[in-house]
Amino acid sequence: MAENNELYNAILNGDAKKAHAATEVALAAGAQPMELIADSMVPAMNEVGRLFEAEEYFVPELLLAGRAMKSAMELLRPLMIASGQKLSTRIVIGTVKGDLHDIGKNIVASMLEGSGFEVIDLGADVSPENFVAAVEERKPQVVCMSALLTVTMPAMKTTIDALVSAGLRKQVKVLIGGAPVTSQYAREIGADGYSENASGAVSLVKSLLTAA
Amino acid sequence: MPIGADLVLHEESEPGRARNDGHALGRVIERAARRWETPLAVPLMDLRLEKIDLLALAGVPAAKAEIFHFEAPLDEDALTALCGEESVPGCAGSRARDEALDFVRAQTDLIPVGMAIGPFSLTTRLLADPITLAAMMGAGVTAEESDGVQLLNQCLRMAEAAVRRSVRSQIEHGARAIMICEPAACIAFISPRQLKAGSDLFERAVMEPNLRLKALMEEAGCDLIFHDCGELIGPMVEAFAQRLHPVVLSLGSSRKLWEDAQFVPRDVVLYGNLPTKSFYSDSAMPVAEVVRRTKELIQKMKACGHPHIVGSECDVLFVPEARDAIWKKVDAMVACAAAGSCCTKG
Repeated sequence: MAENNELYNAILNGDAKKAHAATEVALAAGAQPMELIADSMVPAMNEVGRLFEAEEYFVPELLLAGRAMKSAMELLRPLMIASGQKLSTRIVIGTVKGDLHDIGKNIVASMLEGSGFEVIDLGADVSPENFVAAVEERKPQVVCMSALLTVTMPAMKTTIDALVSAGLRKQVKVLIGGAPVTSQYAREIGADGYSENASGAVSLVKSLLTAA
Repeated sequence: MPIGADLVLHEESEPGRARNDGHALGRVIERAARRWETPLAVPLMDLRLEKIDLLALAGVPAAKAEIFHFEAPLDEDALTALCGEESVPGCAGSRARDEALDFVRAQTDLIPVGMAIGPFSLTTRLLADPITLAAMMGAGVTAEESDGVQLLNQCLRMAEAAVRRSVRSQIEHGARAIMICEPAACIAFISPRQLKAGSDLFERAVMEPNLRLKALMEEAGCDLIFHDCGELIGPMVEAFAQRLHPVVLSLGSSRKLWEDAQFVPRDVVLYGNLPTKSFYSDSAMPVAEVVRRTKELIQKMKACGHPHIVGSECDVLFVPEARDAIWKKVDAMVACAAAGSCCTKG
């Protein structure tokens, strides 16, 4: 059970205004940001993921929940920065070069953020060089790549090859996803994992980090 | 037959040039129809064109159209200017598409078929975060309560007007049927949970604009071919089949056509729906699996007795690295369909 039911339910129901208000009330009452995240927000997003897997929730509900989570994080983030607190895992995400589709990537980013990870979103049409630069500069534990088109999928391999060439491949777990992508393709190009949906991506990140 | 003009286009020595040259594009479309022995001259499924033409009216250059999104509600004058019925689609791709229709009409015995993105799918391309906004609207948030929902409403108006302009132009250039593509009208954008709770999002944002579009086409003697390769629930298929009542209903590979046939009037031909998006991969989709699935589809459609054309789940795109893999599977699908009678009539 969540510590803060108001916040938990607001996220579960995708109500950004209520999530914001509940966070304000909790902070005013002395709650700590990391406690709210760990005890109420992450459990809420876990439940959202469970409901999605059970086909009771759909992508729109995922996004509304992510939006509610973000509205709470807007209040918490400045406090965490001021007190020097950091989220434990950093993830770089982007849609690969040549591909401008960002909806799937945005859903995954939202779910990852909602699950308590720090997400650096590089946007769409991200070149291998930019992925490499982001890994060098931001030192993430995970890189997520998305492609919607069969014609842009090869850029995933090019990006992994660029990480290898830069000597960075062993520092990160690489996950891929997108409509035409398969687990077979992930193996073929040397990715660490593939997920067919956003909820699965969160579980995959967690399992890869646990195994690392 | 696949929706495969893009594959044939890339057999050209200069596909980029042919794409924007109406005469050359018309010949490509004719070659595709001859190759697959169909009377339907099905064009490229280039769903960017209506957005490019719409944004040209807003002063956005074609090269920036794909990444452009409206960020805030427009004032009424600006909105009205983008919703006019009179302007003619003018980007190079639209001109070539229309001139290709002229070519097919004048130079061949084929049936000229047009192509346009559907109003809802175009709407989603005008917004940076369309799913969230649609979900908010579906949850009952009003335009008065949210700028985002107001913008979504405005984009629905703009998109419908843009698609109507495209459809009118294609009819003027000889289209006797137009394929309206609504891949975003699916459960990724429209929550079945919200629909079950009584949301009218699907009705307002998908059905109403498409019903108006159907009426426009019907008035001009042009048939509707409706394509939606998104993931659907039964009531969506039922609404498309029974209320839009297209001459052909084309669905994605997530659907079992022989089960959907129960929702579909007998004068609506089902088209599809081999998983052509996976054809690039020999490991994920070997030729033998394509043959197996094609045979299964033909057999089950014959058993249910519903009129059906074996085809692709969407347009089959050319992928340079996978050219041979894709072609051999398209050929296998077509050969298998020809052997098993590609059109089944109940």
